[in-house]
Amino acid sequence: MKRHGARSLLLILSTISYLLVGAAVFDALESERESTRKTVLEQKMKEIRDKYAFTEGDFQQIERVVVQSEPHRAGRQWKFAGSFYFAISVITTIGYGHTVPCTDAGKAFCMIYAVLGIPLTLVMFQSLGERMNTLVRSLLRHAKRLLGLREVEVSMCNMVLVGLLFCSSTLCVGAAAFSHLEGWTFFHAFYYCFITLTTIGLGDLVALQEGDALQRRAPYVTFCFMYILVGLTVIGAVLNLVVLRFLTVSAAETRAEEREQRRAEREKEGAPGNTVAASTTDTAPGRGGGGLRSAPSRGHPFGCHSNPIFYNSISYRVEQIATSSSAFGRGGGGGAGGLYLGKRGRYTRRKSL
Amino acid sequence: MKRQNARTLALIVSILTYLVVGAAVFDTLESRHERSQKRRLDARRNELLRRFNLSRANFEELELVVLQLKPHKAGVQWKFAGSFYFAITVITTIGYGHAAPSTDSGKVFCMFYALLGIPLTLVMFQSLGERINTLVRHLLHRVKLRLRPPDRARVSMANMVAVGFVSCLGTLCLGAAAFSRSEGWSFLHAFYYCFITLTTIGFGDYVALQKDQALQNHPRYVAFCFVYILLGLTVVGAFLNLVVLRFLTMNSEDERRDAQRRRHDARHRDARLAGPRGELAQLVPSPANANAAGLARAPPPRRRRRRGYTEVLHFQTICSCLWYRGDRRPRSLGPGPASPGDDLSFSDPYLKADRRPPPRIRPDPCSAGYLGYPGYPAYPDPEADTAGCVCGPRHCATVGSVAAGGLHMFSPFRGCQRRSSV
Repeated sequence: MKRHGARSLLLILSTISYLLVGAAVFDALESERESTRKTVLEQKMKEIRDKYAFTEGDFQQIERVVVQSEPHRAGRQWKFAGSFYFAISVITTIGYGHTVPCTDAGKAFCMIYAVLGIPLTLVMFQSLGERMNTLVRSLLRHAKRLLGLREVEVSMCNMVLVGLLFCSSTLCVGAAAFSHLEGWTFFHAFYYCFITLTTIGLGDLVALQEGDALQRRAPYVTFCFMYILVGLTVIGAVLNLVVLRFLTVSAAETRAEEREQRRAEREKEGAPGNTVAASTTDTAPGRGGGGLRSAPSRGHPFGCHSNPIFYNSISYRVEQIATSSSAFGRGGGGGAGGLYLGKRGRYTRRKSL
Repeated sequence: MKRQNARTLALIVSILTYLVVGAAVFDTLESRHERSQKRRLDARRNELLRRFNLSRANFEELELVVLQLKPHKAGVQWKFAGSFYFAITVITTIGYGHAAPSTDSGKVFCMFYALLGIPLTLVMFQSLGERINTLVRHLLHRVKLRLRPPDRARVSMANMVAVGFVSCLGTLCLGAAAFSRSEGWSFLHAFYYCFITLTTIGFGDYVALQKDQALQNHPRYVAFCFVYILLGLTVVGAFLNLVVLRFLTMNSEDERRDAQRRRHDARHRDARLAGPRGELAQLVPSPANANAAGLARAPPPRRRRRRGYTEVLHFQTICSCLWYRGDRRPRSLGPGPASPGDDLSFSDPYLKADRRPPPRIRPDPCSAGYLGYPGYPAYPDPEADTAGCVCGPRHCATVGSVAAGGLHMFSPFRGCQRRSSV
């Protein structure tokens, strides 16, 4: 527990310091530009107002109309194509904000839609990403064999390298395509692809907003949607490869710690005079009151089997295999599918399968 | 088709369907309003053009300036407080867009910042969320202990999910109340804002800290906002950790199980080729080896009475094979086939006779005595050498698949049936 808590604390502190550092750097990079732009724009605004002699009230009206018209400048946003675009931005959590539901019913439906859609999308991208990783792994193995390399097994390094390669090429392909189709510079298109595929979705640059593209250019619209979904899959595959294990490590550790605790408790209690019970606690951490209660607890000629502690320990082990294969299975590398229970050394770990 | 592929395909199809259905519903809900609003705004614009005698070009120029000034009107966005706000929206992937880097170097830094920050934040929220879940589980257990007898005080998954859901809802309502008061939004709009923020969608239609130069003038409100976003994301992350995380690893687990099974099958094939006298062959029930250790003998009648009981135990024995440190040897049998309860490494001890002294206390659910095979001592005697596991190696190896959810029906020996489901 302590190590676990320490890790969480460390992560919190690093995130907060990361935020502080980031804030300082953004401040340094953008503040000056912001203030100069503000001055310039306000100057311009003053000129315009003087030119047309707007009153304050007039000007506020104009401002209001302009601001409200903003989303409409890009064309019809809620026809099917636009709604599909919006739905994608919701369930992938990109959330450009180029279009937002105006009606209250739309807002409510948006929330319900997100509640179901976001977990579904997460699971889908991870599932597909894992399939991609498996495919890439087998292709790499074949390639290594064909190349006659000594080491045919695909290492984590190889996979990460290939994953990063795929990510960069996805971003570059998208950047090239969007810079051509939207008229942005390559850098801005790259920035757009990056912000989109990391699901940040600032919305300063949004595709399909020029020239009524959503209604007129169906192939481009299809390309856009496909690009977003495929790109997110590639990113998801790399995350599945690199980050997912860290997300589950704390859960696995907690389970191991709980088992240790329970075993310690059971060893302390131990039923007096029941060597079998003592032995079950010795050999298997039991779990109070749980596990498969399918075995009868009545008296039985083979006495010990009716011992509830024994059954608990067995069923506990059964369940442990179910959970440990999820928790620890990935911890075991290569050949030794590491099903590992409690303290090492207590149990014979299968050396190989 | 492999299970993983089927699952992935099903997920893809459901997502596409979900998108199509969502698009249709949004179309229905919003199109009409969009049309009418556009018409209204066009009318207003034309009126303004007429009133002020503006040309279209002039008006567009005006429009551009107004739109560009919009973020500036909301306050200074890039001083430290604003930058911190922006940094939060980047690494949590909320991404309102109320402020976006306009310099190229800002954009470049933003990308690198996100590259490192997003995984860090993901891991942090999941770690913290898992800690919170553990704490909640512990507290719930204590509460249940007070209300119920100890053997019924376990905290179930349903309990945890209910508590998680309630805390998410509570967080959203708390935020809605606070923001509706501070920003002047209606409760529903403030709730919508909190929801969109904490799911990290972050449209940017509603953004806090954009009124009255709040970023510079109201430091306490600013601090509250930041704390709310980070804590709210933790609560949502804890809920996701509880409910969704297990599904993210399904394919990987299946893949691992398949690989294990393939490896085991390969070794089993190799071992079987080791010769007719190979101990392994003796353990595998077959008519040819019927006399070897009595393993393949039909179970005596009394076992059939307790078939159901046996089923359960056999299922359990399959799994326990994997775990028992089997130094056991049935003394009555003398030197015989290595018991599968031995060190379960297929590379050697399975085939070697190992004459280690039996451990002091070692219950063995695999005891064939229990299962009624003559020659094996009855189970309850912990001092005697109880027999090793009766299940063959090919079954032990498939424990992973058996236990981890995929029960495959195969009967290791006659008379004993595997449970078809747990």
